[in-house]
Amino acid sequence: MIWLIAKKDFILNLTSSRFVIGFLLCLVIIPFTMVVSVDGYENQMRVYEVDRAEAQKKWQEIKVYSAVRPEIVKEPGALGIFSRGIENNMGNSLILRLGEYPLLLTGHAGTRDNPLLDAFFSIDFSSVIAILMSLLALVFSFDLFTSEREEGTMKLVFTTRVSRSAFLIAKFLGIVITLVPILLFSFILSTLIVVLNPSITFTSVEWIGIILLFLVSILYLMVFILIGMTISALSKKSSTAIVVSLLSWVWLLFLVPDIAYYSSQSVSKISPYDNVLYSLDELDREFAKKTEEKWDEIQTQLGIDGVGHWNWNGGADGYDEMYGCVWETNEFHRRLNTWREPMRLTYADKKWAFQKEWLDGLQQQEHIRQVMSWLSPSEIFQQIASTLCRTSPASYLRYMQRIREYRETLIAYFQGKKLFESFAYFTQQDPKSFLTIAKTQEMEAAGVFDTENFKVPPHWEGSYYSPLNLDDVPKFGIPKQNHSEALNASFGLVVGLIALGTALFLVVISVFRKYDVR
Amino acid sequence: MLQAVELTKRYEDGHLALDSLNLEIKPGEIFFLLGANGAGKTTTINLFLNFIEPTYGKLTINGIDVVKQPLLTKQYVSYVSENVMLYGNFSARQNLDFFARLGGKSNLTRKDYYNVMRSVGLQEDAFEKKLKTFSKGMRQKVGLAIAILKDADNVILDEPTSGLDPKSASELMQILTNLRNKGKSILMCTHDIFRAKTVADRVGIMKEGRLVMLRSREEFLQDDLEKIYLHYMQEAVMFDDANLNS
Repeated sequence: MIWLIAKKDFILNLTSSRFVIGFLLCLVIIPFTMVVSVDGYENQMRVYEVDRAEAQKKWQEIKVYSAVRPEIVKEPGALGIFSRGIENNMGNSLILRLGEYPLLLTGHAGTRDNPLLDAFFSIDFSSVIAILMSLLALVFSFDLFTSEREEGTMKLVFTTRVSRSAFLIAKFLGIVITLVPILLFSFILSTLIVVLNPSITFTSVEWIGIILLFLVSILYLMVFILIGMTISALSKKSSTAIVVSLLSWVWLLFLVPDIAYYSSQSVSKISPYDNVLYSLDELDREFAKKTEEKWDEIQTQLGIDGVGHWNWNGGADGYDEMYGCVWETNEFHRRLNTWREPMRLTYADKKWAFQKEWLDGLQQQEHIRQVMSWLSPSEIFQQIASTLCRTSPASYLRYMQRIREYRETLIAYFQGKKLFESFAYFTQQDPKSFLTIAKTQEMEAAGVFDTENFKVPPHWEGSYYSPLNLDDVPKFGIPKQNHSEALNASFGLVVGLIALGTALFLVVISVFRKYDVR
Repeated sequence: MLQAVELTKRYEDGHLALDSLNLEIKPGEIFFLLGANGAGKTTTINLFLNFIEPTYGKLTINGIDVVKQPLLTKQYVSYVSENVMLYGNFSARQNLDFFARLGGKSNLTRKDYYNVMRSVGLQEDAFEKKLKTFSKGMRQKVGLAIAILKDADNVILDEPTSGLDPKSASELMQILTNLRNKGKSILMCTHDIFRAKTVADRVGIMKEGRLVMLRSREEFLQDDLEKIYLHYMQEAVMFDDANLNS
C-alpha cells in the first residue's frame, strides 16, 4: 500500500511542471558551477606546480644547514571542486623556519586575478546542492497534505485500509524517489564534467568521498522533505504552507548562517593580529639583545675585539653562510650558534604562546559559528561536505598541526646531528683550511694571497662548493589519505543530521496523527 | 450493516453537532438522511469513516467498532463525496486502478475498469482522459465507479446528486437500487427529497444534531414527506431568524 501511494505520487510528480523546472534548473546550474569550479581548481594546480618547482629549486641550491628552510606548498585536493570550504580564504604555502611556529599558510590564495571581480557571486557544487535540493524538497512537500485535503482525495484514501502512518511514509517516499534521481543526475553530471577533464583524476579515497557526499546529500534532502511535510501537516491551506515554506527556506539557508557568523564575532572577540605582532616584536628585541650580549661574551672568550668576515651571507632568522673567514670568526659563529639556535627555539616557544592564544581565539570563534549554524540543516550539510572534501577549517588546522609536528622532527634532526654546534651549519669549508688571523696576516705579508685585490684561494668562494646532499633531512609529508579520517571527523555531524531527520519525522507523525482530513 | 448508538459529537469549540443519534441501516436497505445544512448529516458520515472520533456513543460497521478497529471497518465501507475530485492528472481508468488497488483489488484488468465505468454511464471516450478535463457529473460517476469496484457491504454517499443534471441523478439512483438489490446497506445524506421518495427504503430527518423523524417507505409514502420535511426546515429557519433578531 505504501509503495502504491508512493508510486502514484512519483508518477504525478514526474508529470508536474515543478519537476520539469527543477530538472532544468539542475541541468543549467550544475554544469555551470562545475565548469567554474574545475577552472578554479586548474588555476590552483598551476600555481601549485610553479610554487613547488620553485621550492624544489631552492632546496637543491642549499649549501649550509642554516639555510634549510623547507617550503611547504599545499596541493589542492580534487575534492575541493565539490566543496571549496575555506580553501579560497587561505594561502597555499609557507616557508618553515626553526625560529617560529608555522601559524597559517601564506602565498597564493584562491582569489581572482582581477580583484574588481571579487563581488561576483561564485558558489561550489555543495552550495548548489544545498540551495537547489532544499528548494526542490520544499517545493514538492509544502502541499503534500494540504493539496490532497483541498482536492478531497485524502478523504477517499482514508476510506480504504490505509493508516495515517502508512500514508505519511508513502508520501515521504514518493518525494524521495522523485528527487533522488535528480540528485543522482546532478552528481553524475558533475562527476562526468570533472572526469572528462584529462588533468583531473580521482584516487579511490576521493571516489569514496564523492559517494559519501552523495549519501549525505540524500540525507539532507530527506531532512528538507520532512521540514516541508511538517509545514504541510501544520497548515490547512496550500497558500499558507508555501509562504511558511519559503520563509523557512530563506531563514535556514541565508539568515541562520549570517546570524551565526556575526553572533560568533560578537560572542567571542579576538584582538587584532597586530597586537600579537607587537608582542612578537618585543620578544625579538629581547632575543636580539641577549644575542648581542652573547656576541660580546664570545668575543672576549676568543680574545678578539671584532668579527671580520671575508664572504658572508646571512639574515636575522639564523641563516648564515660564510667562506674564507678566519678560524676565530668561524669558531665565534660556531660558539654563537651553539647558544643562539637553541635559544631561538626557546623564543619560538615563547612567541608561540601568543600566537596560539590568537589561533585558539580563531578556532573558538569558528567553533561558536559552527555550533550556532547547526540550527540550519544546510549548514550542517555544508560542514559535512567540506569535511568529506577536506576543505573544512578542521582539515586546514590538522594540516597546520602536521606542519608544526614536522618542524619538531626537523629540530630533532638538527639536534641529533649536532648541527647547531657544527661548522657545517654555516659553511662547507673544511675546518682544516681555516686560517687564524695571525696566519692570514703572515701569508698576506708573504704574498701568498692578496685580499685587497681579491686574489684568494677558490675555496674562499661559495661558488666553489656544490649544494648539500639533503637526502637524509626529514621531508614533509601528509599520511596517505584514507576516508576513515574524514568519516570520523564528520560522523558527529552526520549523526546530528540523522537525529534532526528522525526528530522531524516524529514531529510530522505526531502532527499528522491529529490532522483533520475533512 | 451500519449502526450508531447514542452517538454524540461535541466539537472543540463547544458546538454540539450530534446529540444521541441512534441509527441502523440494514443490509439491502437505502437510508436517506435528510436535513438542513449544519443538521449533523456530514458529521455522522465523518464519524462512520473515522475522520473524527465521537464524544460519546458507539458506531459499528458490520458489527465491528469503528473507533476500536478503524482500519478493519474501512474494508466494509465505500464512500462517495459531494465533490469527487480525485487525481486530475490521472485518467479515469488510472484513478480507478489506484483506488481499487488501495482497496485490495490488484487483479483487475483494464476491461474490468471499462465495464464498471460503462455501468455508471461514463462515456467510452472519457475512460482514458485526464480527470481534470471532466465535468462534476463525470467525476461523480468515476467516484461511484470506485465505490462499486470496492464492492463493500456498506455505501455512504454525501450529497451525491448535488450539481448533477437530472439524467445523471436518475442514473445514480438506478445504480443505488442495483446495489441495494445486491444486499448493500446504503446511507445517503442529501437535501434531495424528490430522490428520497423515489428510492429510499427509510428516511430520517435530522435537526440540530438529533434525528427528529424516522419513516419507513410505507409510512412516508402515506404521509406527505415534502410537507413534513418543510415543516422541520421551517422550524429551523424560524429558529435561525429568532436567533438573528434577538
